[in-house]
Amino acid sequence: MARATDQAEAKPGFLTRLTQDHARVFFFSLGKLVNAPGNALFTAAVIGIALALPASLQLAVNNFQRLSYSWQGSVQMSLFLKGTVDEARGRDLATELSKYGSVKSTQYLSREQSAAEFREFSGFGEALDLLDANPLPAVIVVTPLPGRNAAQMAELSGMLSALPEVELAQLDQHWLERLDAILRILQRVGLLVGALLSVAVLVIVGNTLRLDVEARREEIEVMKLIGAPDSFVRRPFLYGGCWLGLLGGWFALLLLTLGLFVIDRPAQELAALYGSSFRISGPTTSTVLGIVAGGVVLGWLGAWWTVAKHLSAIQPR
Amino acid sequence: MNNTLIQFSQVSHRYPGGAGDVLSDVNFELEAGEMAFLTGASGAGKSTLLRLIALLARAHRGQVVVAGTNLAHVKSAKVAAYRRQVGMIFQNFNLLYDRSVFDNVALPLVIRGHAHLDIARKVRAALDTVGLLHRERSMPLTLSGGEQQRVGIARAVVTKPMLLLADEPTGNLDPEMAWDVMKLFERFNDVGVSVLVATHAIDLVERLGKRVIHLEAGRVTDKRPVAASRVSLAEAH
Repeated sequence: MARATDQAEAKPGFLTRLTQDHARVFFFSLGKLVNAPGNALFTAAVIGIALALPASLQLAVNNFQRLSYSWQGSVQMSLFLKGTVDEARGRDLATELSKYGSVKSTQYLSREQSAAEFREFSGFGEALDLLDANPLPAVIVVTPLPGRNAAQMAELSGMLSALPEVELAQLDQHWLERLDAILRILQRVGLLVGALLSVAVLVIVGNTLRLDVEARREEIEVMKLIGAPDSFVRRPFLYGGCWLGLLGGWFALLLLTLGLFVIDRPAQELAALYGSSFRISGPTTSTVLGIVAGGVVLGWLGAWWTVAKHLSAIQPR
Repeated sequence: MNNTLIQFSQVSHRYPGGAGDVLSDVNFELEAGEMAFLTGASGAGKSTLLRLIALLARAHRGQVVVAGTNLAHVKSAKVAAYRRQVGMIFQNFNLLYDRSVFDNVALPLVIRGHAHLDIARKVRAALDTVGLLHRERSMPLTLSGGEQQRVGIARAVVTKPMLLLADEPTGNLDPEMAWDVMKLFERFNDVGVSVLVATHAIDLVERLGKRVIHLEAGRVTDKRPVAASRVSLAEAH
């Protein structure tokens, strides 16, 4: 027995020790999970559902936004020309505008054509007859290229209304603005639901780990007896929380994929009825990463919250 | 620096809600490198005294000084670090039954952050010392009580602590195993480890011939313990 001879103990450096310990706990906690997956899988499923709900709301909002962009392209813009602009200049302008980058096509309506259209469609045709002269201006109808977003449309509209020949540029997209507003509300609702369900995830993880701490009370006592610091006792539980969160995130992605799979065909059929080739798009890479990372972070937080509370209550007798 | 490892000065202790003092006005010293037995009837305060040294409880009055440190001044955050200087052995072994013998003995080294190779080497040395090297892969429940206690001892000595505390280490063992365990403590003491053993095994204490600190109703007395085999005899007189 060589005792107290090697005082200068060759302990590895701080960073090496940290890495070594985290690697050990990583595999240890993973091993625990693999050996007794029942309870953990159940918890992960609940976390998955809680994460999938706000994620699917977000996905729905994203898709509606894409849809509204594609609708935006079918919006037409009416340029009401000044009375001083004659027909020849008007037709020239229409041809010029049709060569603009974001313009698909233009159509010139003379004052007479405007009046004819008004008579035909408005139902107030007789009102025109009461007037001495035709009050309607000539109009250039501009059809933008499809797929422009709201900002690009506003820019185009601003540029067109600044033309010297144009009295007024009218963009008929009020209903699109309303849809946008509704989507913004839905987005907020998604955030609220997300926040609430995040708290739910914290509670779920906390409760699972509280039971885990109780089940391993003796082990914790022994560790404290032989001088394990709190951080050492805590670490496996924190990793356990992260694993639960990670599994939960995966489960949420699975649920989302299933949901998309179920909805995709009827959505396609609906789009076809409107003559559109719109397809529902799945979550983006950043959303996928967000869901998984969110699960891990929530699992870790939940573990920290509950373990900090319960570990200090366990003292060796 | 003097050679005193443990010093109790007028130490009293009571448990919350307890009827009276479990320890009252206890004074004693243990020299560095000394081995002593702590004897006394059940409830005399042996375990409490060990708990005070291990900082599992804090004295209500008086002071406990271990290796120059007044334990009253050790902050709760530093208790774990303090406890790592002391090797502890328990009557019920306190092993972790979901891990192998090797992993049990390795635990204190893992807590201290030793390198893997270093851990393997030290654990095997400790298991060899207690004669259980061939059982390193076994699970503790497949071992006999005496073997389990030797695993507990290997775990306590693997970090080469300056002090070993043992609370009724032979309480659950048959006489032969108990004697082996006591001889083991003596061997550690021979190489310079201070050992304090609380025990009822008076016949073993007498055979080893080490110093005895006898407690009666929470006080250190000059009386000597009576071996179980002679209790009825003593009462007859």
